[in-house]
Amino acid sequence: MSGSHDPTVVTAVLMAAEAAINRALELDPASARDLADMAGTVLAIECLSPDVEVFAIVEAEGKLHLTPYSERKADTRVRGTLNDFLALATAEDPAATLINSDLEIVGNTAPLLALQTLVSKMQPDWEAPLVNVLGDVGGHQLANLLRQIFRWGQKSTQSLRRQLSEFILEEGRLSPPAAELDAFFKEIDVLGLRVDRLESRLKRLGQRLAGRR
Amino acid sequence: MRNDDTAEEPGTTHFGFKTVDRDQKESLVRGVFDSVASRYDLMNDLMSAGIHRLWKRFTIELSSVRPGQTVLDIAGGTGDLAARFSRLVGDEGRVVLADINDSMLRVGRDRLIDSGAVGNLHTVQCDAQSLPFPNDSVDCITIAFGLRNVTDKDMALRSMERVLKPGGRLLVLEFSKPVNPLLEKVYDTYSFRVLPIMGQLVANDPDSYRYLAESIRKHPDQETLLGMMEDAGFVSCEYHNMTGGIVAVHKGIKA
Ligand SMILES: C[S@@+](CC[C@H](N)C(=O)[O-])C[C@H]1O[C@@H](n2cnc3c(N)ncnc32)[C@H](O)[C@@H]1O
Repeated sequence: MSGSHDPTVVTAVLMAAEAAINRALELDPASARDLADMAGTVLAIECLSPDVEVFAIVEAEGKLHLTPYSERKADTRVRGTLNDFLALATAEDPAATLINSDLEIVGNTAPLLALQTLVSKMQPDWEAPLVNVLGDVGGHQLANLLRQIFRWGQKSTQSLRRQLSEFILEEGRLSPPAAELDAFFKEIDVLGLRVDRLESRLKRLGQRLAGRR
Repeated sequence: MRNDDTAEEPGTTHFGFKTVDRDQKESLVRGVFDSVASRYDLMNDLMSAGIHRLWKRFTIELSSVRPGQTVLDIAGGTGDLAARFSRLVGDEGRVVLADINDSMLRVGRDRLIDSGAVGNLHTVQCDAQSLPFPNDSVDCITIAFGLRNVTDKDMALRSMERVLKPGGRLLVLEFSKPVNPLLEKVYDTYSFRVLPIMGQLVANDPDSYRYLAESIRKHPDQETLLGMMEDAGFVSCEYHNMTGGIVAVHKGIKA
């Protein structure tokens, strides 16, 4: 289950990741075919820190479904910290990384490696789906984080990883209405400033015009 | 287990914060949804900044609905959940979109036809308090943001329990009590001040949205609803808070 985290946040992140992965799959029919061969496979990803459990379920037509909750029996179960998972996701030699990492695996490793191949190849667009559900402020922030992590791959710093865990831990407790309100008030501030500036420009313009006469 | 402030004079009930006769409530509720039906989806997105889609998605995950099953979505309105279920149960399965309000159902049906999900989908106009379906006939019942509008919630829960197959599950997605007092305050401001303004701007109907805000406050909190589900005969009842308890999804199984 979703551990101590707000299911809304976990669902948002998974929904964005799912949309990004499936969009990338549409552009990569070969990978989609490979995945379709595994239709019905359930991969359980148990993250210990932060404490989140995620299921990756391969659907027909080679689409991936990511969910914080499933009652289906997992074919493969992997357990580890976010660091271990990120190291694996971005590894150039996943098999070696798997052997050397602290990840605990129960069951068949094939689906895990197939998913790894997919994720490591992707340049997913996180932004659109996240902004869609979280709004401009939170969505943009989270998309940036995810993008940096995946762009920098191996080189992604400890601090980024920490930021991601913090986002999952902290932002989950922030209420979207509060965040939305905050953004709303900021926008009003910005709008107010613009109106002020516009007014003073108009005034100056008026003075200049008056001066010419 | 019920809150003191949900205690009612016999024969009266809440319409938002106004106390009204039970008979009256139904037509008042109908009036609210008649007047918002066409703008309902837009308002839904604006009100919750799209977050309601995440709440619904998580609810659907909890349903664990499988191909071939029969799902009943009560107070289904414009059919958000029904559309998802229609894909999940497949050709062998069946989804019934039920609502007391014909305007909402019509918007829902049109939208579902547009999205291509019709083969396994039926719409039924009915009251959650007396569901016109046989005993033990449904694998899963959902009611999303609908229970708070129902006059006699206990009666509705009993009716759902009757219709479910043994082992079938009920999921109630509803506004609830924020776990953090600060959040509750922000949320109050939002729902009592911002919502009616948005209702005015988008649907030209601040009163309906004021009613929605008030009905949210009058709805039983997490533990109270859990107790009501147990009283109606459900077992293994549990709930998940979402977005700090602004909404909660309750799950119960028919024994
Ligand atoms: C806030 S809407 C929720 C619609 C949809 N489930 C959603 O989540 O978007 C509430 C719905 O409950 C319906 N409703 C109110 N009282 C009802 C009753 N007694 N029985 C069945 N439906 C009812 C209204 O017509 C309305 O469509």
